Amino acid sequence: MKRIFFALVICLGLTINHAIAQASVCGDFHKKACYMEGTRKDKREFMYNAQSKSGLFAQGSTSKMRCVVYKGNDYRISVCCETIIGDKVNFKIYDARTNELLFDNTKNDNTQQFEFQASSTRQLIIEATVPAGDVKEEKGKAENAACVGLLIENKVSDRVGFSQY
Amino acid sequence: MKKIFITTLSIAAISGTCILTSCGGGNKTDADNMVSDSTKVDTATAVKPSATSSTEMTYQIPSPKEMFVFIKQVASKNNKRTDVLNSPDNAKNYADAKSQALNFGIYSCDLTYCSIFEIGTDVLKYFKTVKQLGDAIGVSSSINPSMLKSLEKNMGNPDSLVEIADNLYFSSFETMQNSQQGATLALSVAGGYIEGLSIACGLVKYDKKSQAVERIADEKYTLDNIIDFMKKYESDAGVKETIAKLEDLRTTFNQVTEKQEGAVTVKEEKGGVKVLGGGSESQITEAQYKALSDKVASIRNSFIGK
Repeated sequence: MKRIFFALVICLGLTINHAIAQASVCGDFHKKACYMEGTRKDKREFMYNAQSKSGLFAQGSTSKMRCVVYKGNDYRISVCCETIIGDKVNFKIYDARTNELLFDNTKNDNTQQFEFQASSTRQLIIEATVPAGDVKEEKGKAENAACVGLLIENKVSDRVGFSQY
Repeated sequence: MKKIFITTLSIAAISGTCILTSCGGGNKTDADNMVSDSTKVDTATAVKPSATSSTEMTYQIPSPKEMFVFIKQVASKNNKRTDVLNSPDNAKNYADAKSQALNFGIYSCDLTYCSIFEIGTDVLKYFKTVKQLGDAIGVSSSINPSMLKSLEKNMGNPDSLVEIADNLYFSSFETMQNSQQGATLALSVAGGYIEGLSIACGLVKYDKKSQAVERIADEKYTLDNIIDFMKKYESDAGVKETIAKLEDLRTTFNQVTEKQEGAVTVKEEKGGVKVLGGGSESQITEAQYKALSDKVASIRNSFIGK
C-alpha cells in the first residue's frame, strides 16, 4: 500500500512538471519562427499583435482560435510549424458569426501568410491543422508533437483616395 | 492511510483532467461560440464549410496598446491626461488577491498609455507601481530591475518606451499562464480591458462621425472574447463576480445599433490589397455612448475601490 502511495505521488509530480513544461515549451515560438523572409525588412511598420500565439500540437491535429480584427487596420497573419516536411501548416480563416470561410491557404498555393485590410470590425476564427511528419527531439516535448506559431501583426491603414480606409 | 490514498488518487485524476484542457479556453462547439446578441446576419449567400465542432477553441485578446495607437493616430496626438488614470497612490489599498490582480491589469494599461502618449515622468511612477503589484501576485520574475534602467535610459525615446512597456505586459501575462495562475490572469485581463476602455471614453468626445467613437463601440467584440476566456476560471469566486459585471457591460454594448453591410466578402482591390468587407458596422448614438461611458466608469470604480 505504502509503495503504491509513493508511486502515485511520484506520478503526480511528474505529470504536473510535464504539464508546465508543455505549456511553456512553445511560448515564444511564433516570435522566433514566424517572421517570413522579407517581413523584417518591410518598411510598412506592422506592429506585433497581442493575439499572436504558439502552442504544442499533436501531429495531424487541428486547433481553433477566435480573435478580433478592427476596422481601419491592416493585418498580416503568418503561420509556422517546426516540421522537417516543408514547414507547412494548413490554415483557414472563418467569420466567427456566420462561419463563412474567408481564406484557405490550400487554395492559395499553400501560402503561410495572409495579408488583408479590415473594412469592418469582426471576430475571426483561425483554424490551423498540423501536417504529419518527423520533429526534432527536444526535452519536455512529446515525440509526435510540434510547436505551431501564429503571428498576427497590424497597423493603422493608410487613408488614401476617396476611401476613409 | 486509505484516506490519504484516495485523496492522492483524486488529485491525480484532477491533474490529468487539467492537463488535457490546459492549453485552451474551453471545448465549446461552434454553435456555442456564435455571438448571441440581436444582430441579424445575412447568411443566405454564405458558404458554410463548418470547422470541426470537437476542436478546442482558444480566445485571444488584443492588448490596450492597439486601441491607444489607433486613437492617437485618428483622434489626437496630444491627449496627455493623467487624470484619467488610477493614481499610483492607491496601490497601497489593494491588499487582497482579487483587487491586486485587477489593479495589476489596470496599472499595466496605465503604463502602456503613458508610454504611447509620451508622458515620460509618469512612465517611471507607473512602472514602479506595476512592479510592486507584480511582486504581490507572483510575477516578479518577469519584471526585472533592468527594465527600470532601460526605461530611465530611453526617456526621450517614445518607441523604446512603448516596446519596454509592451514586453512587460506580455511577459507578466505569459508568466501567469505558464505558472497556472489562471484566475489571476483572468482578473488582470479584465482590469486592463476596463481601464483601456475607461481611458478611451475619457479622451474621446462623442462625434457621430468619429472613427475613435466607432472603435470604442466595437470593443464589444473583444469583450466577448474576454468573457469566454474568463469562463474557464469561473470556479474562482472573484472571477465569477467579475464576469457578472462584464456581462452587464455587454448588455449595454448590445444596445448599440448595427448597420448591416451585406455578406462577408474578401475582395482584391487595385495593387493586390485584399479587403475584408461586409458584415456589420456599429452606429452608436450620443445617449448610448454616455450610457456606455457611465457603465464603464461604474465598473472601473468598483475595481479601483473608488
